[in-house]
Amino acid sequence: MLTSGPIVVMQVPEILNVKEVHNFMEELGPLLESNRPRVVLDCSQVRSMESAGVEMLLRCLEEVLKRDGDLKLASLSPEAEVILELMRVARVFETFQTCEDAVRSFNAIPADAVPQDTPWYANVFNELGVLKQAS
Amino acid sequence: MIGAIIIGDETAAAEDTQSASRAGLCRRSWATVEALGKAPIARLAESLKTQLCDAVSVIVNDPPDGQDVRTTQTASVADLAAARFAEYKGDGFETVLVVRCGAYVELDAAEMLSFHGEQGSMVTRAFADDGPIDLWMVDPSVWPERIPLMAALLCTRPAIYRSKGYVNQLRNAHDFRRLVLDSFYSRCGLRPHGSEIKPRIWNGDGAQIDRSARVVAPAFIGRNVHISSECLITRGSNVESNSRVDFGTVVEDSSILPDSYVGIGLDLSHSIVDGQNLLNLQHNVNLEITDPVVMRKNTVSGGDRKSLASLESRQMALSSTE
Repeated sequence: MLTSGPIVVMQVPEILNVKEVHNFMEELGPLLESNRPRVVLDCSQVRSMESAGVEMLLRCLEEVLKRDGDLKLASLSPEAEVILELMRVARVFETFQTCEDAVRSFNAIPADAVPQDTPWYANVFNELGVLKQAS
Repeated sequence: MIGAIIIGDETAAAEDTQSASRAGLCRRSWATVEALGKAPIARLAESLKTQLCDAVSVIVNDPPDGQDVRTTQTASVADLAAARFAEYKGDGFETVLVVRCGAYVELDAAEMLSFHGEQGSMVTRAFADDGPIDLWMVDPSVWPERIPLMAALLCTRPAIYRSKGYVNQLRNAHDFRRLVLDSFYSRCGLRPHGSEIKPRIWNGDGAQIDRSARVVAPAFIGRNVHISSECLITRGSNVESNSRVDFGTVVEDSSILPDSYVGIGLDLSHSIVDGQNLLNLQHNVNLEITDPVVMRKNTVSGGDRKSLASLESRQMALSSTE
């Protein structure tokens, strides 16, 4: 059975250059190696981000997805938003207005709440059947 | 004889270079920035010279791109302007047009001159629909001695001349982009400085566009610009002289100012780039990109610089005075 740990929320430093990426990864790296890591990165303080910073975000996302977890970005500062758009990675990440929204999104639809025996399109076929009969 | 003094932005001159650099593109004097191959201040000077002025003096701290003009590092711009005004007076000029450049103005100088003559006022000031323009017509013969020129112009009650031509106040980066788009869509008289290779696509001399790159009209590719393969330049973008857009980058509704390098695989939209400074007009964010792989000042090789210099000397239609 798969289990997941707590949701980790971390503040991304104001300037994300090569040096800061190294420091940040020392802190975040071990958390990514857990089982099904669930990470929220608070980007509200980001004022500048080099390509090393964008690369780090992508590497983190790759790591968590490999371990069946997820990484979400929250409270993006306008600067962070512009840089991610500029580098064409804005759509790669799931982003949220606040950290609370991002945390909540991890628990939005528990897997066991979704019925596994009937496909999602079953209702559509039912409705089509009703329409056919009516006509 | 009619003379003209075009004064650069004094507020920009007063700032120290460090704070100006920190402020990035937000505090630029847009009239001195190359727009579609030539700075608006240079275009105004040219237009005045061809229309009716016997002499045109341009006094700026930040020289307009690609133009030879009188620049100052020590004396204040206002002092130099006052000195030039005194020279005109001494030389017997009947009328002097004083322009504190900030705005791009398409002025019918002859009409303003005749209005100024009819009014018999010492000073006539041009007005646009959205307020006054820093453009005055003055009679130096009756101008009082020892009064600072600019201060007096701002205090004097002038005759009001309503300019019917196109005016863009160039107060900010949005106005600068508007000027570029207005030119592309022929909403003003400003014409891109280059040859129109396809409808509404202009190329400056020495522009290199890779075969696999796409340029969608309207667009301007300036002098000695290099557009690499797989790039897309679209939605009213202009890439000014000596800039480079690298592999696969998309430039949309943006202006790339002279001598800028824009890196590989980027999505540049609704922005103005000047070297390592990026101003995003949609998010209203001014960024200094410290990563030279992404954006930087474009350096020109020795050979390129030589060919550029010869090109500039050939294209120099305007000298500092006379």
